[in-house]
Amino acid sequence: MATPIGASPTYVGNPSLQNVDGADKITGRARYVGDMTVPGMLVGKVLRSAVPHARIVELDVTPALAVAGVRAAITHRDFVDNGPFGWPVRDAFVLAYRKVRYVGDPIAAVAADTAEAAQAGIEAIRVTYELLPVISDMAAALDPGAPQIPEVSPTGKGNLCATHLLRNGDPDSLLAGGQVILEATYSLPHQEHAYLETEGALAIPEPGGGVTVYANCQSPHIARDTAALVLGLEPSLVRVIQPFVGGAFGGKDDIVYQTTAQVAKLALLAGRPVRLVLSRPESMAASYKRESMKSRITLAADSDGTLRAAKVAITVDSGAYASMSPMTAWRATMHAAGAYRYQAVHVDTQVLYTNNGYSGAFRGFGNTPASAAAELAIDELAERLGRDPLEFRLQNCLRSGDCTMTGVRTPGGAGLAACLEWVRDRSDWATKRAAYDEQRAVGAGVDSRRSRRGIGVACYFHGSGLGGEGVDFATARLAVDADYGITLTAGLTDFGQGSRTVFSLLAAETLGVRMDRIRVLRPDTQTALDSGPTVASRASIVGGNAVRVTAQKIGHVLTLAAADLLGCAPERILRSGEAYIGPAEDPISFEAVVDHARTMGLQLSADGRWQVRPIEWDFERGTGEPYFAYVFGAQVAEVEVSAVTGRTRVLKIWAAHDAGTILYPKGALGQMYGGIAQGLGYALMEDFRFEAGMPQALDFDRYRIPRAMDIPDIEGTYIQMLPVGTGQPPVGTGQPGGPYGAKNLAEPVMIATAPAIANAFAQATGRRVRSMPLPLWNG
Amino acid sequence: MANKILVAATINGEPTEFLCEPQQSLLEGLRDVLGLTGAKEGCNDGNCGACSVLLDGRLVNSCLVLAAEIQGREVTSIEGLATWQGLHPLQQAFIDEDALQCGFCTPGMIIAAKALLDRDPDPTEERIRAWLSGNLCRCTGYDKIVRAVQAAAAAMRSEVTV
Repeated sequence: MATPIGASPTYVGNPSLQNVDGADKITGRARYVGDMTVPGMLVGKVLRSAVPHARIVELDVTPALAVAGVRAAITHRDFVDNGPFGWPVRDAFVLAYRKVRYVGDPIAAVAADTAEAAQAGIEAIRVTYELLPVISDMAAALDPGAPQIPEVSPTGKGNLCATHLLRNGDPDSLLAGGQVILEATYSLPHQEHAYLETEGALAIPEPGGGVTVYANCQSPHIARDTAALVLGLEPSLVRVIQPFVGGAFGGKDDIVYQTTAQVAKLALLAGRPVRLVLSRPESMAASYKRESMKSRITLAADSDGTLRAAKVAITVDSGAYASMSPMTAWRATMHAAGAYRYQAVHVDTQVLYTNNGYSGAFRGFGNTPASAAAELAIDELAERLGRDPLEFRLQNCLRSGDCTMTGVRTPGGAGLAACLEWVRDRSDWATKRAAYDEQRAVGAGVDSRRSRRGIGVACYFHGSGLGGEGVDFATARLAVDADYGITLTAGLTDFGQGSRTVFSLLAAETLGVRMDRIRVLRPDTQTALDSGPTVASRASIVGGNAVRVTAQKIGHVLTLAAADLLGCAPERILRSGEAYIGPAEDPISFEAVVDHARTMGLQLSADGRWQVRPIEWDFERGTGEPYFAYVFGAQVAEVEVSAVTGRTRVLKIWAAHDAGTILYPKGALGQMYGGIAQGLGYALMEDFRFEAGMPQALDFDRYRIPRAMDIPDIEGTYIQMLPVGTGQPPVGTGQPGGPYGAKNLAEPVMIATAPAIANAFAQATGRRVRSMPLPLWNG
Repeated sequence: MANKILVAATINGEPTEFLCEPQQSLLEGLRDVLGLTGAKEGCNDGNCGACSVLLDGRLVNSCLVLAAEIQGREVTSIEGLATWQGLHPLQQAFIDEDALQCGFCTPGMIIAAKALLDRDPDPTEERIRAWLSGNLCRCTGYDKIVRAVQAAAAAMRSEVTV
């Protein structure tokens, strides 16, 4: 086959690579769903529940239809079987059926000529409730006599939504004999995604009874399948197109599938296009959150600091619907004791229904709170042992060849120690740790009365891809066009994380062509093949591999054509830039090879599919192999806590992630810094609280997310795998089968930030906090 | 509907007349009446800055200004930044530094940065961070955005010196 001249890749890891959508985004030309208008378009609006739990006694939308300008009004009655949807538990409804279960639950929707008419229509809808008792505390969800929130209990046990377990060895005997034991319970809050663009969809009825929907969802095929089912249409009659999406972080799944089905029905009934974009307060109430979680952790170590065993009991607040909580809880279960060597670990997890909004996917997917809890516990245990928390982690952290807490050897190796050493050295850890200990012990200096400093560390591991959550595959399609451009249709999508750039560079790299030849189509269920959901930081790895194998197919055809043109065997073809060179050393252009391939009648389009190595997890026994690979990382945070205001300010963060090969360096650093900002918010200010089921903040005044001023200097790095044959020992590790050795990174980079900040707070103040966000320090 | 107001203003350098309703915000006027959708609605209450535009050179949240208030005044939105000569140095710097991810905050962020550089051609990092604190970004952690503003400031200063 064609041999590239000079082994160094052109695009993979090139630091000058820029986002392929940059020019559209800096000029305002990029069109998001709220920017789209079509002639005759109506405005959609949803009536949402203002109460956390109630039976719907009466629901009548006919008064809305009498309002001038209202063209359609819908309820659950307009959908097949009252419009149930959801995976893995089908407990949600496109519009409320019989009950409302949280503040923001959609009840009915209207489409009208103007926003004012739509609002008047909503206000005219007659709805009466019979209020039901509210469950806002997970601890009360299983009380005898607690009202059952779901229509049907998925476990047959009332508000118990799901359970998971992990069984590795016998921790009880080790706990009994352990010399130092820590037992503590940690609470992590709900967190709002706060993507800058709220959820929305624009539906256009099509001749023939179908409907086209532009929806800012993560996974258009799931939106299509959900809508087709509840509309009673063949999936081929529902076309979902993803326009530019203004951020998602896991948050634009179920809520946008629901919105898609609502606008599709309104458009079909009104016979006109309908656009519905949620207002910010509506989005904050209606959309799902990161789950709140309680994690009771018991750890045992020998007096020499060797970790022995862990037992963890987790409860997850799923809220009103299951959404992804059964799956986030499974991931939490697989990571609950952290990235350390243990002889035995048991984890038991319960997912509970409450009336606190509802929870679902959010960056880290259960591992963010689970690892935060584990990292706070590890820090406390190190303190009890009188050990430096970073050295204690280095002593016990997973290294290549070790078994994870689930008892499986890490495939592909573990670069965690290298990450810990990097953040230790770059942060001048030992000096600062000693100085800040001193400051606390002395406590007499003027400065230490006004403010205290601390430095803290946390690390993580994160299972790659879907793991036991589902079949992990993706598809892609490439076609060489008449103008020698190459159209790429990818099944996985880009909602801001940079996948379109990654797919483009992988196609160009693999084909050996200029990157500007690659044009990535917008995801469209009529052109893209289903690839499963774009979640779990799997776009670059799984989707990227699908692009790579597809490009290889076309590259193979082009090499055959070049060989035919040059009159040599395909093995003799060399590449230099885009040129093909035969034994006569006369380079021919990409265009000439394409032309010749067409003359030969060769097909210059191909589909490709890539699937992750299958793994087996036994959900009943809690044993098996949960993921095909893991990624690792560590962060150090330095904080200053004011004794005057009580506020914690982060001074600097050092971050290292074991990344394999970095494909798109600027994009990867953006993901890391953005993840750290979300982790900082999680530690210091973001608390999506419910009181008696009522959300306490529905705007950016009261739900604060980090602003530019809140973000400290960050020194981040990706520890990359050293090329084989450099003679140096490997530092980072590659992903088995990742494209060009790349590993996933988008979610895990946020996991260590919050616990590192909390651990730094503990050093500064001498106070161990077991919940987030951190409180004001009161001396 | 009944009481539309005729507004005459200069928008992105062009004299423009349009009809708006008394309660309509400048953001709605730009987006829904004039079809200038570069300014985004992220919150509609002045917290996120995605709708930032310049009103007579001053940075405003267009969701908090009435469309009728711009009578006789000048508005610059993201659509007005590039000229026939090319992109504004800030736009170029946002591309070069890759200071964008989902892109939803980008137009407002660039407009806010322009307002800063118009006042202070050589701002410190602290000043940039303080100035941009009216504009939320959930993707980037702001780092690349701050670098882009610094790079644009340097490029604009060298342009002036030349």
